[in-house]
Amino acid sequence: MNRPKSDGMTFTKEPYIEDTGARKIAGISFSTLSETEIMKIGEVQVWHADYYDAFKKPVPGGLLDSRMGAANKSLSCATCHGLYADCQGHYGYLPLARPVFNVGFLSTIVKILKCICKHCARVLLDEDSRKKSLMKMRNPKLDGLQKMQLLESIMKKYKSVKAIACPRCGYINGSVKHNKSTLSIIHDCDNEVVAELQSALSDVNNYRASSDLTSRVLDPLRVHSLFKKMHVEDCDLLYIEKPEKLIITNIAVPPIVIRPSVIMDGVSNENDITVKLKEIIKVNACLGQESGESSKFQENWLMLQFHVAQYINSDVKGGSIYNQPSKPLTGFIQRIKGKQGRFRSNLSGKRAEYTGRTVISPDPNLKITEVAIPIHMARILTYPERVTHHNIEKLRQCMRNGPDKYPGARLLKKSGGTSWNLKLSSRKRLADELKFGDIVDRHLEDGDIVLFNRQPSLHRMSMMSHRARIMPWRTLRFNESVCNPYNADFDGDEMNLHVPQTEEARTEALLLMTVQNNLCTPKNGEILVASTQDFLTSSFLITRKDTFYDRSAFSLICSYMGDGMDLIDLPTPAIIKPVELWSGKQLFSILLRPHANVRVYVNLTVKEKIYNAKKRDDRNRELKTMCLNDGFVYFRNSELISGQIGKVTLGNGNKDGLFSVLLRDYKSDAAASCMNRLAKLSARWIGNHGFSIGIEDVQPKVILIHRKNETIDKGYDVCDRFIEDFHKGKLKLAAGCDAAQTLESSIFGTLNNLRDATAQVCMQTLHWRNSPLIMSQCGSKGSPSNICQMVACVGQQSVGGCRAANGFLDRSLPHFPKRAQTPAAKGFVRNSFYSGLSATEFFFHTMAGREGLVDTAVKTADTGYMSRRLMKALEDLFLHYDYTVRDTNGSIVQFCYGDDGMDPAGMEGENGKPLNFDRLFLRSKAICPPDGDHVILSSSDVRRVLQEKLSEVGMSNSVEKDASDIMSEVGFSADFIQSLQSFVEKNTLTEIITEGDSTNLKNLSNFIPKISGISRRQLEVFLDICLSRYRFKKIEAGTPIGAIGAHSIGEPGTQMTLKTFHFAGVASMNVTLGVPRIIEIINGAPNIKTPIITAILERDDNANIAKVVKGRIEKTNLGQVAKSIQVVYTSRSAAILISLDMKIIEDAHLNIDANTVKQSILQSGLKLKSENIKVLDMKKLQVDPRVASRSEILFQLNNLKNLLPLVVVKGVKTVERAVLEIKKEKKPETYNLLVEGKGLKEVMGIEGVNGHRTVSNHIIEMMNILGIEAARYCIIEQIQYTMKSHGMSIDVRHIMLLADMMTVRGQVLGMTRHGIQKMGRSSLMLASFESSTDYLFDAALRGKGDPIDGVSDCIIMGKPIHIGTGMIEVQQRLEPSVLPRGANPILSGV
Amino acid sequence: MVESLFEDIFRVEKLNPDDKKLFEKVNRIEARSERFDMFMHLDINSELYPLKEGQKFFLKVVSTLNPDGTPDTGYYNPGNRQSLADTFEYVMYGKLYRVTESTGREKAELLISFGGLLMMMKGDHSHFNKFELDQRLYLLIRKV
Repeated sequence: MNRPKSDGMTFTKEPYIEDTGARKIAGISFSTLSETEIMKIGEVQVWHADYYDAFKKPVPGGLLDSRMGAANKSLSCATCHGLYADCQGHYGYLPLARPVFNVGFLSTIVKILKCICKHCARVLLDEDSRKKSLMKMRNPKLDGLQKMQLLESIMKKYKSVKAIACPRCGYINGSVKHNKSTLSIIHDCDNEVVAELQSALSDVNNYRASSDLTSRVLDPLRVHSLFKKMHVEDCDLLYIEKPEKLIITNIAVPPIVIRPSVIMDGVSNENDITVKLKEIIKVNACLGQESGESSKFQENWLMLQFHVAQYINSDVKGGSIYNQPSKPLTGFIQRIKGKQGRFRSNLSGKRAEYTGRTVISPDPNLKITEVAIPIHMARILTYPERVTHHNIEKLRQCMRNGPDKYPGARLLKKSGGTSWNLKLSSRKRLADELKFGDIVDRHLEDGDIVLFNRQPSLHRMSMMSHRARIMPWRTLRFNESVCNPYNADFDGDEMNLHVPQTEEARTEALLLMTVQNNLCTPKNGEILVASTQDFLTSSFLITRKDTFYDRSAFSLICSYMGDGMDLIDLPTPAIIKPVELWSGKQLFSILLRPHANVRVYVNLTVKEKIYNAKKRDDRNRELKTMCLNDGFVYFRNSELISGQIGKVTLGNGNKDGLFSVLLRDYKSDAAASCMNRLAKLSARWIGNHGFSIGIEDVQPKVILIHRKNETIDKGYDVCDRFIEDFHKGKLKLAAGCDAAQTLESSIFGTLNNLRDATAQVCMQTLHWRNSPLIMSQCGSKGSPSNICQMVACVGQQSVGGCRAANGFLDRSLPHFPKRAQTPAAKGFVRNSFYSGLSATEFFFHTMAGREGLVDTAVKTADTGYMSRRLMKALEDLFLHYDYTVRDTNGSIVQFCYGDDGMDPAGMEGENGKPLNFDRLFLRSKAICPPDGDHVILSSSDVRRVLQEKLSEVGMSNSVEKDASDIMSEVGFSADFIQSLQSFVEKNTLTEIITEGDSTNLKNLSNFIPKISGISRRQLEVFLDICLSRYRFKKIEAGTPIGAIGAHSIGEPGTQMTLKTFHFAGVASMNVTLGVPRIIEIINGAPNIKTPIITAILERDDNANIAKVVKGRIEKTNLGQVAKSIQVVYTSRSAAILISLDMKIIEDAHLNIDANTVKQSILQSGLKLKSENIKVLDMKKLQVDPRVASRSEILFQLNNLKNLLPLVVVKGVKTVERAVLEIKKEKKPETYNLLVEGKGLKEVMGIEGVNGHRTVSNHIIEMMNILGIEAARYCIIEQIQYTMKSHGMSIDVRHIMLLADMMTVRGQVLGMTRHGIQKMGRSSLMLASFESSTDYLFDAALRGKGDPIDGVSDCIIMGKPIHIGTGMIEVQQRLEPSVLPRGANPILSGV
Repeated sequence: MVESLFEDIFRVEKLNPDDKKLFEKVNRIEARSERFDMFMHLDINSELYPLKEGQKFFLKVVSTLNPDGTPDTGYYNPGNRQSLADTFEYVMYGKLYRVTESTGREKAELLISFGGLLMMMKGDHSHFNKFELDQRLYLLIRKV
C-alpha cells in the first residue's frame, strides 16, 4: 500500500518499520464479511447513483468517488494519493435498506432453514441425537470431507419433510422450498393443524389474505433474524460459522481498478459491475423512501434482491420481465468462471514476455538440439547478460549496434538500478562507459538456450529446450528427427519460442528439458526422437545389398556426414579386385565409428519389415543374417554385418533400435551425434540420388490386373455362396448370432481379407525401384494397403464398423436392386484410385471418408478434456526420498512407486522390464573377444561366478522364491535377481557337445569355444553391466510422476483410431474400446456400455458341460419352457393354466419344475400371492387372478396371460446373454463363458462356474462384490487391455498410479469433479478445475483455510512448486547474534 | 609363404536359391566343393564377376594379402606392392562373424560378411580349425 504522503500525518520522528524482506504467502483463508467488517474496510459510503458532475469530476459518494482510487489517468486517489498506475484501490460500502439473500448461498440457506425451527431457530433434532451429532462434528480429527459427509447425513433427514414439530418450542414446521423465479423462500405449512386453523379462519369474514397462512414467504429480513438467533452449538452442528453473514445487508463496493471505465471518443463507458451497482443504488434509494407495508415496497424489495443477485451472478433469471437488459452484464461469477475466467485464463496461466511464434520448416543440417531463429526474431528477443571480464568487448559491440542491427542490444541496466533504452540514448558513450556488473539486454545469439513448444502440449516432450542458431529468413527451423515429440509437420504449423531470462532458469532448462535428455518417452521407454521419412528412405537405399561405390563416390559420401571436417578411417573395400568397390553397408559402419579412436561398439540385431521369418534352413532354424531379402540387421562392434536398414532400426517406437542402443550403452551424446550425422548424410545423399513418384509408379502391370480380377472374382463367388446359403436357410450360424448377422459378418470378413490379398499380389508385382514400394518397405511412409489402393483396388468401405447402411428403402443406393447384399451394393470399391471410382463407389468412399473426419473432430475434444481431468487429479503426486508416492497432504498413495521404484523412461526390456538380457549378453560377448587362454566355464563355475557377483553387491543368499518385493538395503527387486539368474542358467549351458568321439575330442575341444560357451571375463562383464545399469534406472526422488502418468495416459488417447468396437473373443460380442472406453474407466462410471463377465468354468475342457452352465446363466422365460399358457374358463372360476415342456427343460439341463416356477412367479413382481398359484403336478400350474371385482377379472386374466411368458424362471435376470468362447491355443481346447450384462455375484454363485477366477470388466461392480483391491486390479487390467488392442504400449507403472489414485480412498473415485473433490484437495485447486464459484462459495461458507502447497495453488499464488527442483530448500544455521549492550541505564536495579 | 586358412575348388550348383533375382547386381550362388565336400552360399557381384551354373572356381581364404605372410595392419593402404591378389580374379575383404554347429555331427557353419555380401560355408568342422571369431579375411577367387 502506498504510504500517505507527508501532508497527511506528520511524525516528529520517522516511525521504525522493520524490513522483513519479500513476504511469502503461507496460506489463504476464506470467509464471509459481516456488515460491520464491510463498513470497516470501506473508505467511503457510496450512495450517489451518478458518476461525474458537470465538471467531469467524480461525484463524492458516487460510484467513481476518488477515495476508491483514481477513475482515470488524469486523477489521483484521494485516500493514498497514488496515481492511476500506483494505487491499487480502496473499497467503499453500500448499506442496503433491507437485507437480501446472497444468490450464491441461496441453496445453503434453504438447507439450513430445513434443519432449524422457523420459530425458535434451534435445530430440529431432539436433544439426545443433537448432542451425539455435535460430539461427532466437533471431533478435531475430522477433516472437511468427513464433516461434509456427516452434515449430509444430518440434512438428509429433513430434505423432504412435510411437517415436523420443534422438540423445544413445539412449533409446527412445514417444508421449505426455494422459488427460483422470484429468488424467494417459501415456508409451506400445509399440514393438518394449519388446515384446521384455516378452516376456522375461513369463517371469519373479514380475514383478508386467503393463502397467506399455508405458504408463507420467508423474507430475507426474517431469515436474517432467525439466523442471528441461532445457537452457537447449532452452528457448529451444521458446520457453518456465522449464518447471518449469508444474507447481504451491506455491499462492499469494489475499488475502481477492478471495474475500470473505458474512455472512447471522450465518452466514458462504465464497467458492467459499476452499471449494476448504479441500479442497486437507485432501487435501494427508492426502497428507503417507501414505508414497510405498501405493495410498492415489496416490489422494490424483490427488485433489489434481483439486482443484487445479478450483481453476483448475471445468469440469474427472474425479476420483472420488462426490465431485462438486452445484453447480459457480467457478474462476479462470470468473471471467475470457465475457460476465459480469472482462474483458468489469468491465474493458472499467464501471458509471457520474451516469446516468439512463426511457421516452422525443416533443416537437416541443424543438430537435433538446435533451432534456427530468424534474425528478425532474434532482434526482438533479448537476454539480460551481466557484464564480466570475458564478455565486455562483445557487449560493447552489441551496445554500439543498438536495437536494430543484429548482434545488438536493447537495454542497459546499470548496477545502480537505472536503465537506458539503447534506441534513444547515445549508444557509443554508454558502450564506452560500460562497467563490470552492468546488465545488457542483448539480442539472442548462437548457443542461447530457448524453450521450443508446439500446441497441443500433450506431454512434456512438447516443450523442450534447444540451442539457438540465428539464421536468415523468416521461419523457425529444426532437424526433422525432432518432429515426433512435437508431433509437428511442415504443412503450415506454427511453433512458439520462449527465452529464459535468468541463469538459473537456463541451467534448469539445460539439465532437464534439452532434446538430448528427452530422447526417450517416459510413457514406455521407447525412443521418440529418431529418424523419419527421407532419412529412412535414404538409409534403406544406401544399405541395399547391391549399392557399391568407387573410391571417389565413397569418399564424397563419407564427407557428407561430418561436413567434411571429421577424421575418417577409410576401410578396406569390400571388393578389392577386379575394381575397388565399397558397399553401402560399409558407409554405415563409418557413420557409427568414423575412426579407430571412437570407442563406440554397437551390437544389435533387429528384424526389419522385409525380413522373411517363414523361410527356414535345413535344421528348421530361421535364416537370420542369411535372409534372402536381407531383412535381418546385425551390427557387430559397430560394423553392419547384414541387413537393409529401415524404420525398425532407425525409427521411433522401438526399444532395440540403433539409437536406443546407442542411448543406453553410450549415453545421449552418442545417440544425438549419430542422429546428426545420419540426418546430414541422408539429406545430402538423397538430394543427389533423387527420389520421386510419378504416374508410372501407380500403373498396374497386366499380370497384376489379371491376378487382381482373379482374386476379387473368387472373393465375390464366396460372398455369393454365402448369400445363396442364407436365402436357402443353410447358413451355419456363428456363436451368438442370428442368420442375418452371420451373413453380414462373414461377407464383411471375406471382403476385408480381399484387400489384403490384393495388396500382397500388388506388392509382389511391383518393380524394386518403385518409390511407393520402397517407402512402404523401409517404413518411411505408407503401407501395402495404401499402395494397393492406388494401384489395384480400394477395397471395402466401412461406416461405423459395418458395410454401408441402407440409406434408401432396403438398399444403400437406388442403383441397386432392393435387399441386395452383393459386395458392390454395400460399398466394396473394386477400382483403384488410378483406374478411377465409379459413381456409386465414389459415394461409398465419401461416406467412409466423412466418418473419419467427424471422428477426429469429436475425439480431439473428448481426449483433451480427459487429459485435463487426469492432469488435475494427478498433478500433485510426486516421489519422495523414501520412494513413497504422496499427494500434497502427505497421505501415501503408493508405498513404492510402481512396486519396484524404477523409472519408466529407462526401461529397456519388453513389458516394462528394466533390462533386455538377450541384447546385453550378445553385447558383452562381442565386446569381450575371446583371448588366447579362452576357457569355457562349466555350469557349476557359472553358478559360482554368479554368486560371487551377487554377493559383491550384497545379494548373497537372499534369492529365495519367497523373498519380499524389494530388498530395501541393496535396492534390487527379487523379480530382477530371479530373472537374471534364470537367464544366466539358460544361456550358458555348454553341455551341448560334451563327449564327442574320442578321435575328434582334441579337435572338438578347440572348436567348441568358437560356437558357444562363455568365458569368465565375458560373464563378469555381463553381470557387471546388468547390476550397475539396474541401479541407474531407479527413479529419482522429486520426479513429478503424477503429471508424467497423466501425460502418458492422455497423450496416446489422441492417437486412438476410430476402431471403437472389437470382438471379445467371439464374433458378435463387442466390447467398447478406444477413447469412450478409457473415459468410462477413468470416470468410474456406474453404467458402462458393454459390461462383460468372463466366467471361468470348473470343468473347462468339456463343451457339453459348458453349454449346461451357459443355460443356467442365461435367463429363461416361462414362455420358452412352457408348452402352453392358456386361460381356462369353467363355470365356477377362470384361471390360467401353465403346462411345462419337460422335454425342452431336460434337453437344456435346466433344473425347473412347477414348484420352482411358482417361486419365480411369486418373485417376479406380478403382485400374486402364494395362494393364487396352485401346483397341480410336476409340470402343471394354475394361476388364479387376484379377485378384486368381477368386472376386472377378464382384464386381469388377459394381463396375466401377456405377462406370464416373460417371467424369468431360471438364470440371472441382469444378464443379457452368454456366449461360449473356445480357446484353441492350448490342446485340448478350453472353454469359458462370456456373459453380457451385470450380475457378477449371481454368475459366480452358479454351479459349474469357478467363482475364484470369474471377473467382470465393470469396475464399480468389481468394487461392490470383490472389494477395492479387485477394483484396482480391474482398472489396471482394463486400461491395459484397451491400450493394447489399439497397439499402444504404456508402462504399467503409470496405470498403476492412476488406479491407486482412484482407489486409495477406499472407494472408486472417478476422475471427474465429484471424484477429485473427494480426493481431499484445496479449494483453490478445485476452483481452478471446474465450477470455480461453487467451491469458492463453499470455502467461504465453511471458513476454510488453504495452505498453499499444491501445484495449482502455488501457480495461482506465484510461488515455486514443491516438486522436482523445488522440493529442496537450503537452510542455514546462524549463530545467535549477540545484542550490543548500551550504556547502563541511569535508574537501575529496582 | 602365406598360410591359407582354407582352399578348395567349388562348382556352382545354383544361382539365387529361390530362382528370383532379388538384387540387380548381386547373385547368391550355391556351390559345393570337390575336395572337402563343403557347401557354400556366397553373394557375388554379378556385374563385375558373373558366374554361371556349372562353372568351377578356385576359392582361397587368407588372413593377409602380403605374400610374405606378415599380418594385416587393419588399415587400408593400397600401393603397387606385390600381393596375393595378383593371381586371382575376384577378391573380397570381410569379417567372420559367426561360427555355429550345423546339421549332422561334426558339421559346422562359418558365416562371413564382406561388407554386407554374405558367405555361409558348411562342412566338417575339422577344416575350420584355423578360423577365429571376428577374424578379418580375404576371399580370393579365380575360375578354373
